[in-house]
Amino acid sequence: MTTITLPSPVSVPREVALGAVHALPILAGAVPFGLLLGSLAAKAGLTPLDMGLMSGIIFAGSSQFVTVEMWGHGAPGLAVIASVLLVNLRHLLMGATLAPRFQGVPPVRAALALFFMTDEVWALALRRGGQLTFAYWFGVGLTLYVGWLCATVAGTLAGALVSDPAAWGLDFTFIAVFLCLLAGLWSGAGSLPPWLASAAAALAVHSLLPGGPWHILAGAVAGGAVAAWRGRSATPGQEAK
Amino acid sequence: MDTTLFDPGLLGVIVAAGLLTWMTRVGGPWLIARVRLGPAANAALEATPGAVLVALVAPAALSRPSDAIAALFVCLIARRVPMALAVALGVLAVVILRRLL
Repeated sequence: MTTITLPSPVSVPREVALGAVHALPILAGAVPFGLLLGSLAAKAGLTPLDMGLMSGIIFAGSSQFVTVEMWGHGAPGLAVIASVLLVNLRHLLMGATLAPRFQGVPPVRAALALFFMTDEVWALALRRGGQLTFAYWFGVGLTLYVGWLCATVAGTLAGALVSDPAAWGLDFTFIAVFLCLLAGLWSGAGSLPPWLASAAAALAVHSLLPGGPWHILAGAVAGGAVAAWRGRSATPGQEAK
Repeated sequence: MDTTLFDPGLLGVIVAAGLLTWMTRVGGPWLIARVRLGPAANAALEATPGAVLVALVAPAALSRPSDAIAALFVCLIARRVPMALAVALGVLAVVILRRLL
């Protein structure tokens, strides 16, 4: 069986501890981002409680950067919500790859566990393969959850200390983070056509409607359309060759 | 003094965004058991996260030459060094380039 249900010989505390240990290097990388997100949130007018609620309820780094940036620029709430959804659509694909691990898991337990599925939790879970246990999953997930919550709130509390993000190039951090995430999605020259279509559409719409979120939607639709057209006759098996 | 503890409007946005985010997390395993996507829909779905990120950065990254060069630099190092370092070097690059250009 390769389900996430706990096989009897495995010690629960040991699996939780193993997950926590595996999460530590990721946490070390996430904490500076949490601090930075918090300080940017403070600049955008968010309180520490706002930040804590956001980290506790959304718990998704890049979409929280999007939320803070858009909210700080006065974007309408619905636009922020739509953008978060678009940014996090990748979870659908990531979760789909973990489907065999969740086969036969009680729905409530799966729904609870999947709340913690960030890019990093997903990557570690995938690496565990058939050895993946519910306890390991929570060891990773809760470590990152508590660490992220603390880092973002601490960053917001300290945020007043950062005077002008742009003077320190900190506004570029958003761009750099998203570019790094993008680089992780690169899968060869085939990635390029949808990305170029997205860039062209986003730039065009942004020049017509600057400040709004519509360029994000336009880019997503244009990129998706190009990918659909290119992939219309391919089957997954053919793509693998 | 600003004595606001939290912003109710923002809380509504956070709860809605959080709920939708959670649905994207639960939705993968749920959908895979029920829906069979055609090749075109599958390709579109696969390309969506990248397209969203491109659309997010393109206007800002190409807003001035200094930022465009720094963005290119981040793309080149992103897969060779840890993300935190790539971001730090990118910020350093943009600070220097903005002074020069």
